Amino acid sequence: MNRKTFLTGALALLATGVAYPALGQSIPATVDQPVTISYYNYNLASAGNGAEATKRLIAKFEAANPNIKVKGVGASSADITSRIQADVAAGRIPDVVQMVFSDLEFTVDNLGAAALEQIVPETELKAHFEGISPNGLQLGVLNGKTYGLAYTFSTPVLFYNADLFKAAGLDPDNPPKTWAEVKAAGLAITKKTKAEGIATGIFGPSAGDWLFQGVLRSNNGSLMSPDRKTLAFAEPASVEAVAMLRDLYDSGAYTNLDITAAMEAMASGNVGMYLQTSAIQGFLVKGSQGKFDLRASTMPRFGDKPQRPNNSGSALVILSRDPLKRRAAWELMKFMTSKEAYTVITSEIGYLPLRADIVEDPKYLGNWVKEHPLIQPNLEQLRMLERWESFPGPNYRQIQKTMMEGAEMAVFGGTDPAAAMQAAQKSAQAMMPK
Amino acid sequence: MTIDAAAFAPSIPAISIARPTKRGATGLNKSVGHLVMAVLAIFCLFPVYWMIVTSLRPANEVFDTSLWPTAASLDNYVYALNAIPIIEMLGNTLLVSAVVTVVQLFTGLLAAYAFARWRFPFDKLTYTLIALTWLVPFQVVMIPNYLLVADLGLLDSLAALILPHFAAALAILMLAQAMRSFPREVLEAARMDGAKSWRILWEVIAPNLRGTIASLTILIFISTWNEYFWPLLLSRTPENSVIQIGIQMFMTSEGTQWGPLMAASTMASLPILLLYVGLQRQVIQSFMKSGIR
Repeated sequence: MNRKTFLTGALALLATGVAYPALGQSIPATVDQPVTISYYNYNLASAGNGAEATKRLIAKFEAANPNIKVKGVGASSADITSRIQADVAAGRIPDVVQMVFSDLEFTVDNLGAAALEQIVPETELKAHFEGISPNGLQLGVLNGKTYGLAYTFSTPVLFYNADLFKAAGLDPDNPPKTWAEVKAAGLAITKKTKAEGIATGIFGPSAGDWLFQGVLRSNNGSLMSPDRKTLAFAEPASVEAVAMLRDLYDSGAYTNLDITAAMEAMASGNVGMYLQTSAIQGFLVKGSQGKFDLRASTMPRFGDKPQRPNNSGSALVILSRDPLKRRAAWELMKFMTSKEAYTVITSEIGYLPLRADIVEDPKYLGNWVKEHPLIQPNLEQLRMLERWESFPGPNYRQIQKTMMEGAEMAVFGGTDPAAAMQAAQKSAQAMMPK
Repeated sequence: MTIDAAAFAPSIPAISIARPTKRGATGLNKSVGHLVMAVLAIFCLFPVYWMIVTSLRPANEVFDTSLWPTAASLDNYVYALNAIPIIEMLGNTLLVSAVVTVVQLFTGLLAAYAFARWRFPFDKLTYTLIALTWLVPFQVVMIPNYLLVADLGLLDSLAALILPHFAAALAILMLAQAMRSFPREVLEAARMDGAKSWRILWEVIAPNLRGTIASLTILIFISTWNEYFWPLLLSRTPENSVIQIGIQMFMTSEGTQWGPLMAASTMASLPILLLYVGLQRQVIQSFMKSGIR
């Protein structure tokens, strides 16, 4: 049995039964006595820049807040929910966690995430939110309350190999902006070079559905009805978006590579274009150094319709029930989403700065942004960012999986897009909360 | 299953079957056989070679297909050693694997002796239940085990990595089978000489089950060395974790750091490779006796 499925199913039952007596209880004004909080973070579960930068930020926070000790716990983004569920079941509730956006609703409904409006004084909250991208803030809002404060996040970027563009007779200074242009460029690359046209990170076991959501939405499609009760990913606009990907694949411009293989094919110079999270920029830069000219553009749009990229990434969520620990957790959240922290997070880990005003400020990211032009499409998309929606109910992962399998069958498996998406929607609807 | 009483079996004269083949044909067969084996050997060794070569490549050459990097360096090893506490993790893995191996063999020998030598109420049922636990995947009992070690306050400790592996059905079943094949006359003789069960087990049976015990040692050690899910759920800090978790830390959704990952994998596989080199015959025997776990 799949471990994640088992944990999600079995422990959700345990976790749903937990009572949250401290929900809504406001926090003390300061941390006036020593307190230790646990901080679950998926960057800490990796080796390299992400972990080092996070550890350094924690150390800085502790130095500035001598009463607060932070115990960092690393768990990969794929496993962090399972780990939290196991700990909640064991009665060891983490105090603050870095939660992937698609797991946010589950965390709110089942793990007792605290709404910031309920525990933090309004004036304090307002003061901290000042300068934060409004689109970014919306990412962590559910039912009108901020349960997650957007932390590390990125947008879908079309990376491209300028050398292959030149070899195929394309203008690398004018990358494709629409899917039709992507198809034409992809075909030119496959025809005139030995490389593949375009690869994407839309499908695959670890892909989730965040990129796919952006593609559907850019064609005015949607996942579900506004009341979040009825699935809508088999509606005509969404099916049309899936059919576009199918046509791209049938034409030979789009290559069906495994998600990791696609990333590596791009890094090794064997693919012309690659649509994937901006967070992999560091990986691609390392692979391309001295080999080819790596550039980036915004996510393609459908004809004249506007781009509607959504984010990948995570939010910081308070799970602690103890008022003093909640105050300590909120202090940590404030620090981790400060100008100083975002300077480190963007320049060293590779995520977007939630605070747009530091981008041009030479005290923070000003000089770095000038030296790293690949970040520009990412910053441009921050202004039009839409939320990565999570499905409701305890079956949210199965619903997501059913949708993605239907779409994958339609694009690569030869199944009719409308039939595949309708079948997936019918199966998934049965798993939605009644 | 295993029979380790070869020393007590009557000697059988070696039988040679003459093959009516010509010398030339035999030579050709031998050459073809050697060629096939050489190809298979290269096929098996190539991934190990590729792991080592990739560990020596710089990041922008990781996807090159040349057999040797243009600028081989040990930078990935230095990076891997700095990025994660590899030495501590290797030490932890070695300690956990060694303790689990010793404890499982100890409990296995005691239980197997009881099942092989004594009749007691529900002995067959107990034996069957133990055999059935072999069919239960560890993932099923992982959460109850997790809750238990959390209650014991052992989270993020090496003791918690060892505790659920104190006894294993494989060890009990293999040893019980071997003991059942042990000549009763020898045991009766020992008993007549005044030896009790404890002495019989350690001074008569165990020394004569060297083959089975060696096979089991290797199997338990390797499977514990490669354990991933349980440490993944349990570990909170790299310093208290094992090397398999360390290797996984180079794989993230933001890309895999292949060079350092291969460097860490090379370092992690060295003890197992040495074990293979030193105990080749027993390793092959152990897989033949119990199948590949």
